Amino acid sequence: MPESSEATITLAGDLHARPAGALSVAASKFDSAVEVIVGANQANAKSVLAVMQLGASSGQQVTIRATGPDAGDAVAAIIGILAGATKAGD
Amino acid sequence: MAANVGIVLVSHSAPLAEGTAELAGQVGGGTVTIATAGGTDDGRIGTSIAKIQRAIQLADAGAGVLILPDLGSSVLTVRALLADPDDLPGPVVMADAPFVEGAVAAAVTAAAGGDLKAVLDAAQEARHARKL
Repeated sequence: MPESSEATITLAGDLHARPAGALSVAASKFDSAVEVIVGANQANAKSVLAVMQLGASSGQQVTIRATGPDAGDAVAAIIGILAGATKAGD
Repeated sequence: MAANVGIVLVSHSAPLAEGTAELAGQVGGGTVTIATAGGTDDGRIGTSIAKIQRAIQLADAGAGVLILPDLGSSVLTVRALLADPDDLPGPVVMADAPFVEGAVAAAVTAAAGGDLKAVLDAAQEARHARKL
């Protein structure tokens, strides 16, 4: 059974094009399947267009869920990016 | 680290190609070479085979090059160029994708170290991405 991991963060800024790009670049480096979940919507983290389409904004809770051999590392890396990258607000 | 796939944006308009390259470069984090071939050799609206050839040379880092054309004769000009692969530095493929979305998706996948097939797939999957 593949490893599964999940963590939630409250966004300090909007998930605009640049942080969405950073998130997708990071997610694409992992073998695990990675989902970004905002409210009732979810997107493949490796698809920057899908992540941007979520329109996640400051103050919203975002859950990162990964399934696969490097799921824990993937969730940690992406939560780290969301904690840092959304502060600039662009 | 292995070389990233390079991207060439071919547009009838130089500012359109350059602006799209700027946006895709920012979203991709700036680690991918995105070269542009916009307008004719004398700066009018149109396409230039010489500009496309130069852009391919600039974008090629050894992992292949993805070309995104905007409309109509951009596609035809690129297709003519690809018909003679002996003149190309390595593997070069053209994506059937929306210009802006395809460039952004390709830049992200190339920045993550995806191979030419993965970058092509990312660009072409952009055809199905909803905006609203």
